Amino acid sequence: MLSAVLPDRLPWYLAGPALGLLVVGFFLFTNQPLGATGAYVETAKTVRRLPGAVTWRAFYFVGIALGGLLAVLLKDDGFVRRKGYDVLLDPMDMNLSLPVASVVIFVGAVVMGYGARMAGGCTSGHGICGTAQRSPASWAATVSFMAAAVITTFFVNQI
Amino acid sequence: MNTSTAHKVIGLLFGIGFGFVLAAANLHEYSTIHNMLSLEEFDVFLLMGGAIGVSLPLLWLLERAKAKTVLAGPLTLSRSPVKRENVVGGALFGIGWALSGTCPAPALVMLASGAGLAVITIAGLFVGLGLRDAQTSRAAGTVITGDGEHRDVVASR
Repeated sequence: MLSAVLPDRLPWYLAGPALGLLVVGFFLFTNQPLGATGAYVETAKTVRRLPGAVTWRAFYFVGIALGGLLAVLLKDDGFVRRKGYDVLLDPMDMNLSLPVASVVIFVGAVVMGYGARMAGGCTSGHGICGTAQRSPASWAATVSFMAAAVITTFFVNQI
Repeated sequence: MNTSTAHKVIGLLFGIGFGFVLAAANLHEYSTIHNMLSLEEFDVFLLMGGAIGVSLPLLWLLERAKAKTVLAGPLTLSRSPVKRENVVGGALFGIGWALSGTCPAPALVMLASGAGLAVITIAGLFVGLGLRDAQTSRAAGTVITGDGEHRDVVASR
């Protein structure tokens, strides 16, 4: 077994700089930020065979999932088929029914996608790559989404 | 735009690296993001700070050194002025992030780790992105793209 090569959670002081080096490396190869929003958009276009689709974004999109699977397989728990979203479903926690939790997740994801496209990036694109380029637009977007997310979570936790 | 095989290989490899780090740091778990946004754990904030702390000075130095990229000419960083859309879109993104407990890249890792409900998250993301694109293509000229988004996407508009 490959299990337990990785700890359950790689500490931030290793994962953070590793991510930073990936961002710099990606810029040095492609002159592009290591974001995720654009990858969704171009993957949708590639799948629909629309003209102008940036095909290599689809490869990158698939790569993110593959890399995630690889890391999970190197942990003790490994790949576990489950529903996910334990905090929402757990009777000891928020105790939402599956349909209600599904609606919350779906609505949240739609709002998130719409907002990311409007803002021109997401947590990786603006939050790391844009801020690292010293972009005022990215710093503003990052402060805005961090504040909105913390405030929203505060209200979610009151329920 | 047709992309070269080299672009595809690099895209795949960096995607794998990115997904690997996200999963290694447990960013694909709802509880990690929820505890971060509840201000109970600060690891993810520190992780992002660590990533910026490494990449910001390196990119700055490489820019000053007029570095050339392997596949796409001279390194060009972008620094756009703040627009209303960055702030409003960012706020909407933050609300959605808090509700769905994951952002676009970790959602893919969440599914790859076996969490079935991530299908709903990913589907919702595609719908949300598509809604915004449908809206902006009707009102041509109002499209805004930020420095966080891929510039070859921007250029293809």
